[in-house]
Amino acid sequence: MDAETPSAPSGRSAFLGRVLEIAVMTITVALAVLVIVGVASRKAGFSLVWYDEVAAILLAWLTYYGAALAALRRAHLGFPNLVSRAPLPARRALVVFREIAIVGFFALTAWLGVGLMDAVGGTFLVSLPWLPAQVVYSAIPVGATLFIVAELTAAIEDWKGNAAP
Amino acid sequence: MTVLLVLLGLLALALVNVPIAVALGIASVAAMAAETGLRDLPNIPLTLFDGAVKFSLIAVPLFILAGSIMNASGISHRLIALTTALIGSVRGGLSMVTIGTSLFFAEISGSAVADVAALGSVLIPSMKRAGYSKEFAAAVTSSASTLAVIIPPSIPMILYAVMAGASVVELFVAGIIPGLLGGLLLMAAAYRVAVKRGFPAEAAFQWSAVRRTFRDAIWALLLPVIILGGIFSGWVTATEGAGLAVLAAAAIGGLVYRELSWPALRDATVEGAIQTAVVMLLVSTSALLGEYLTSMQVPQRFAEQLLAFTESQWAVLALLNLFFLLVGLFLHSAAAIILVVPIVMPLVQQAGIDPIHFGLVVTLNLGIGQQTPPVASVLLTACSIAKASIWSVSRANAVFVGVLLIVLLVVTYLPSVPLSLVELFYR
Repeated sequence: MDAETPSAPSGRSAFLGRVLEIAVMTITVALAVLVIVGVASRKAGFSLVWYDEVAAILLAWLTYYGAALAALRRAHLGFPNLVSRAPLPARRALVVFREIAIVGFFALTAWLGVGLMDAVGGTFLVSLPWLPAQVVYSAIPVGATLFIVAELTAAIEDWKGNAAP
Repeated sequence: MTVLLVLLGLLALALVNVPIAVALGIASVAAMAAETGLRDLPNIPLTLFDGAVKFSLIAVPLFILAGSIMNASGISHRLIALTTALIGSVRGGLSMVTIGTSLFFAEISGSAVADVAALGSVLIPSMKRAGYSKEFAAAVTSSASTLAVIIPPSIPMILYAVMAGASVVELFVAGIIPGLLGGLLLMAAAYRVAVKRGFPAEAAFQWSAVRRTFRDAIWALLLPVIILGGIFSGWVTATEGAGLAVLAAAAIGGLVYRELSWPALRDATVEGAIQTAVVMLLVSTSALLGEYLTSMQVPQRFAEQLLAFTESQWAVLALLNLFFLLVGLFLHSAAAIILVVPIVMPLVQQAGIDPIHFGLVVTLNLGIGQQTPPVASVLLTACSIAKASIWSVSRANAVFVGVLLIVLLVVTYLPSVPLSLVELFYR
């Protein structure tokens, strides 16, 4: 098992890549700053009660927005060898099957995620009572949708380049 | 029967190159639907979200970020210069430098792939120019980097701690003695090969060179003191220590060495975020599989059946060693820990094995797996830098893999080696 060779996004995927890069950079920096501020405030004698809960939520956001960027860069861990060594017609059939499986899973996740958003409507975070739970959980439907867009964008580029995705 | 179908489905999806994290999700959802119909499906997004909300795992992106910042800060060059001044004069000096610097770099980066990429890009070409074979250069760099997984801080150890419910700090401390032992044994093996094959020594030892390179590297040397000192003393948690590592690396790279550029920092942050997301998506979707396997009581049944076969702790450890060595041949260490550790933990507990001891066994086992084809991310990185074939490097690497297996045996059957410092300071 190995990560597929990551490549820089080009053409129409460049815009999506740029947006996702900005998102993950912002979340990563926010996470680092929050942890450092959390330590400093605790050592200074006034602990931020919301710090660990918010930091953990940022990690979940980083997971889902970063996963979409990893899909665009073909950086997820997998076994690309079998498909890439198959003859072209079989390779194309396997690629279509792979894309249906991935898109199907994230479409289901996005749809159920919207249901979760409805279910938590009107509730707020325990440690930050002004923050709606819908904002917290939005990473699931939004991240799943972005994953689908990134996956299909990368797959179309691979297909056009006649490469083995 | 359903469990077997789930595992076969997972394997089939992975073989057609569905990312393993996604394959885990699909197989788990199919299994849940087969067992309980559509009743539990609405819980999927909540399980996925909760799977990713783990405060202890925040240390993963922060250590990756800190390591990336250090790579972009010229720290590796300074460490190599200092180690060359200290031990380069021995026969096969550059291979000693590679092992010594890897041991030190591992105290900062926490990742074997980061270790081999940062140090190999400098040391492998240097070894080739000095007359070492490219296969030996790649092999020694690759095996030395594997020690990064048992020397604190270690990303695989953080993952194990979360999956096994063990203390990250105790795992970090348990890795110190085996890590140093492994480093010394690798140096002995490299020296033996160097003498046999006539590899050269570097310039003669000079105190002036040591003083000069030490002054230049002093800030880099302070990094592990800040990171590990804070964590081991209990002043900060492992996650908070990772935050301090980011702050210290950025300050040293940007303000002291002044080699950290904005484009390098931006690229390092994005690459770190991608690496984190790849691992965390695995953690998140494995929560679905974990829920299913737990509901089917698979870990408990596995423990009962294996303990019915033998109750000897030694035999259980031998079987688990063989199992993890086999798993390490085919799975990336993060995926192996996330998938397998929750399944074997009931067995480990019922056999009376200390979870910290077992954590060392697992991480070292999977580290060795990164040296053995077909799946060998660390070895592949070294081969790519050396421009050498994976099979010829594997032959040259056999002696070093043998050393790592000896360390594994010592760690497995002499628990006092990893646990003595833990018992001295924490129990």
